[in-house]
Amino acid sequence: MASLVLRRVLGALPVLLIVSLITFGMMRLIPGDPSSVIGGMSATPAQLEQIRRDLGLDEPIAVQLVRWYGGLLQGNLGRSILMGQDVMSVTLQRLPVTIALSAYALVITLVLGLASGIFAALRQNTLIDQLAMMLAMLGISIPNFFLGLLMIIFFAVQLGWLPTGGYVGFTDDPIGWLRTSTMPAISLALLQVGLLARITRSTMLEVLRQDYIRTARAKGLPERLVVMKHALSNALIPITTVVGIIVSLLVSGSVVTETLFSIPGMGQLLTQAVLNRDYPMVQGGLFLVTAFLVLINIGVDVCYSLLDPRVRHE
Amino acid sequence: MVRVRLVPIGLAAAFLCSTGLASAAPFKCPSVGGEFVFGQEANVNSLDQPASNTISTRNIAMNIFETLMTRDENNNAITDLAESYTESPDRLTYTFKLRQGVKFHNGKPMTSADVLASFDRYNKVGLERGMFKNVAGWDAPDASTFVIKMKQPQPTFIEQLSSFSVPIVIIPAEFKDDPAMQLHVVGTGPWQLVDFTPGGQVKLKRYDGYTPNTKYEERTGFGGYKQACFDTVVFRIVTEAGARVAGLKTGELQGVEDLPTKSLDELKKDKNITIVPLPNWWIQIALPSITNPPTDNLLLRKAIQAALDMDEIMDAATDGNYKLNVGFQYPNQPSYTDVGKETYNIKDPAKAKEYLKQAGYKSEPIVLLTNKDYTSMYNAALVMAEQLKAIGIKADLKVVDWPTSVGIMTKNEPGWNFFFTGYGTQPALGALATMQFFTPPNANYKPGEGKDDPEIIKAWDDMNNLPDPKDRQAAFARMQKLILEKVYALPFGALTKVQGVRANVQGYKSFRIPRMSNVWFTK
Amino acid sequence: MNSAAAQLELDADVPETHVHPARATLKRLFRHRLFLSGLGLFGIILAAAVLAPWIAPTDPTKLAMRFKFRPPGSEFAFGTDNFGRSLWSRVIWGAQLSVIIGSSVVALNAVFGTLIGALAGYFRSLDNALMRVNDAMMAFPAILLAIGITAVLGPSTLNAILALAIVYVPRTARIVRSSVIVLREMEYVQAAVAAGAGHWRILRRHILPNAMAPLIVQLSFLFAYAVLSEATLSFLGLGAVPPTPTWGNIMAEGRQYMVEAPWIITIPGIALMITVMGLNLLGDGLRDVLDPRLRIQQ
Repeated sequence: MASLVLRRVLGALPVLLIVSLITFGMMRLIPGDPSSVIGGMSATPAQLEQIRRDLGLDEPIAVQLVRWYGGLLQGNLGRSILMGQDVMSVTLQRLPVTIALSAYALVITLVLGLASGIFAALRQNTLIDQLAMMLAMLGISIPNFFLGLLMIIFFAVQLGWLPTGGYVGFTDDPIGWLRTSTMPAISLALLQVGLLARITRSTMLEVLRQDYIRTARAKGLPERLVVMKHALSNALIPITTVVGIIVSLLVSGSVVTETLFSIPGMGQLLTQAVLNRDYPMVQGGLFLVTAFLVLINIGVDVCYSLLDPRVRHE
Repeated sequence: MVRVRLVPIGLAAAFLCSTGLASAAPFKCPSVGGEFVFGQEANVNSLDQPASNTISTRNIAMNIFETLMTRDENNNAITDLAESYTESPDRLTYTFKLRQGVKFHNGKPMTSADVLASFDRYNKVGLERGMFKNVAGWDAPDASTFVIKMKQPQPTFIEQLSSFSVPIVIIPAEFKDDPAMQLHVVGTGPWQLVDFTPGGQVKLKRYDGYTPNTKYEERTGFGGYKQACFDTVVFRIVTEAGARVAGLKTGELQGVEDLPTKSLDELKKDKNITIVPLPNWWIQIALPSITNPPTDNLLLRKAIQAALDMDEIMDAATDGNYKLNVGFQYPNQPSYTDVGKETYNIKDPAKAKEYLKQAGYKSEPIVLLTNKDYTSMYNAALVMAEQLKAIGIKADLKVVDWPTSVGIMTKNEPGWNFFFTGYGTQPALGALATMQFFTPPNANYKPGEGKDDPEIIKAWDDMNNLPDPKDRQAAFARMQKLILEKVYALPFGALTKVQGVRANVQGYKSFRIPRMSNVWFTK
Repeated sequence: MNSAAAQLELDADVPETHVHPARATLKRLFRHRLFLSGLGLFGIILAAAVLAPWIAPTDPTKLAMRFKFRPPGSEFAFGTDNFGRSLWSRVIWGAQLSVIIGSSVVALNAVFGTLIGALAGYFRSLDNALMRVNDAMMAFPAILLAIGITAVLGPSTLNAILALAIVYVPRTARIVRSSVIVLREMEYVQAAVAAGAGHWRILRRHILPNAMAPLIVQLSFLFAYAVLSEATLSFLGLGAVPPTPTWGNIMAEGRQYMVEAPWIITIPGIALMITVMGLNLLGDGLRDVLDPRLRIQQ
């Protein structure tokens, strides 16, 4: 177990190295610089020059690269140009927002996705099955920003049930958090719900055809028991692998959702940072998010290898 | 023009504040309490006022911080943290007496040491520290006196010092070494910072130890007698225009800025909402590169100028909320002049085509460099391109994001001809602040290094250095006329920004920043 | 953002590749309900794309301020936007752009994804290096990577295509690679190696044709994700440059009028949904028919 984790983490190191190199290179190639953002619209040309000098944007690339890796090795990701805070602390402020939103969306995904997938599989080829699969298809086909806009128009503007945007921290006010996070979480989750429902259904169908299910049925076990104990537990194991990918999709999807609903999470932060040319913020933030996703995937893989019956029964 | 009034003030110095002060009781909050949530359009990255020039920072920071001098409702220079000031007869020394009893949000009293430290920090990181180039030094002879010494007389110094573009806010001396963007947010204003989530919201609360400026009885401009009536104020970043409208309608937001014109008809019918228009928010403008061909050709620029229909451009830029405006000041300002009006809004295709022929135009592309981040600039470019096509010009749009467009313009890269922007704060500050845009280094019309138009430079020098305000105003008029006649700029008109508050919000008057003082909820 | 999804759906079934006689496959496809409904939906969009010059003769970027904000009706089928531009024209031409962008991304993926995947899968010496870079590219949240790349390249239709291709090629390569690894160990391939056939010939004659089925399925889903991602990029202001009438641009420009003129965002949104759904259904149908193991389930 420990050796497995170690092996996976070591295997991730070259990936992270390449990731850090790509993020560094990407930011240097983007035209424009943050002086125009700091200066705003009314900066005079002389002021822009002065800001650029202040920021040390004229340093040679090699110096900047050495500084980036030097900092990285010491766990120092630099300081956001526009916010003045260091990248790590900004990330630690914002990442929880994205994680909370993604967790909410993940709960929706798991509940709706698994339930409808299992249900559809058990009622294969009935109307319920077809309806569920049609909805799943709709889920994976509707763009999340479009769904978000429609929900804002309907639930926030027309009905006034939920706020149009903004964010309240869960620890500050759980009800406020629910009110501000529900629409974003739904619009974020729907794609994943559709995906998970489809995968759960096909995995279930496959498991239900297995010999041990037939044996269990032949033994005269009640159908409920067959489904709950044998089929479901075995179907869930391969589905575990999916969770890692779903988390990655949620983080990616949160970019648009957070922008649309004015939620101060990582997605909005990094999009803004790219648009504002906040080099250290993009480099450091993108690196941290990617590292976070890599870790999640390692965790999922480790869980999977622990759960997988083929491993267990060896 | 601002300084027309400034000079007498400067000479009369210490008397000014004591004149015209009423004996009536100063403003008192009719009701106290509540939380005011304001939907702000643009994200705010930092509250370090000296290091940031964005409107979104100033909107919030200027409720927290105060300055020695600022501008009143009519843009005249007034004292705020200074009790008074005097200008020495040789015009080389300005002596500021500080107001007594002013305390920072951390409870410490404000002294001249803090003012000194604030000026020192501004001189390191302040974006408009260029205004100090004629300053020999500053000093704090005693705890309530601050002195600025000039190298040579500069009639416009107080005008610059009181500018609210990037104000020299007074901070506690212990923060004088805070690097740019990292200032501790501790000021002397009626509001103090509670918490700040970049990209999310900024929460302020009433500062109970606030000492108002008793020389006034009402808030005026950025100064005056300020009182915090709400318990807390939240600036929430709501970038979606539709969401701001909806938030105001539902009462989730008590005030918002930048309401889309399209929503106004409906909002006006809503008796729970008060619309607060803010005319003359900025001058919508396009600036040519006179070094990039073919706009290096004056006749071609004249052809373009003759073709434009400003109503159509401004209508699209603002969805109909605008005023036609000649030049670089607004009619409500003393410095306003309409010289050069014959170059404005000509919309004469025949004349334009004639210029085109004289210019020997051979269908070279004219590239309009605009951005998507500011809708009004994008829309203005789109309509201008249509108008140019109509007279047979091959007009191309180059749409990039704001930082890229500024980058291309600043470096004067080849491949563009007109840069789209807006002059916001500067025209409101006065002619001097605005005309800076056309002066070296790197003047806005892109003459190329060291090739600035000598006539423009002469006019600029006169604007700054002539002792008589009338002559300085005349120099400004001359400069405006030159710029318009040589088509160094195409000012389209004045954009109106619309704010809105819930009807139970009282005392909210339109101003360049949303002022949270002397505003209250009716019970 | 969604190609990981395709990945995931495909990973659920280990590619077992068989050579299908083409005609039998086609016959099965055209009896497949999902495939046909997908074809129908996507057909609408494809027809609009191809026929755009005839069915939407009005220039989609032509301003007509006096007609602004007309709701859908007899005068303007889909209404007009804030510049009085006909949304019918814009949405139809937007369909053409979506199809061009989607098929370009698919084509680039087919070429480079196959190339990289085949090289990595076949030449084990290249595998490690190629796959580490591949893993790194895939580790990024897809949309953020696309945003970064378009920011570097500058916003334009071509650059959006390139950015999406760069984001998705590693994912395609991985699918091709895993098929190639399995196929390389097959007896008939080993026999060919023993018979002294060259690498190129083995790859071309024996391996790639058999790796096509999962690739085709992947590409059909990829088409959907490319269209969707391009719309997302445009919506964030990073795709094709306005006034280019991509659906994402139309929606981005219309969002500030979403309350007063909801048709501006709704109509392109629905068009986008039809496209994505059509392609997903096509993909489902292709997978059912081309992947024998899932077919048994039917």
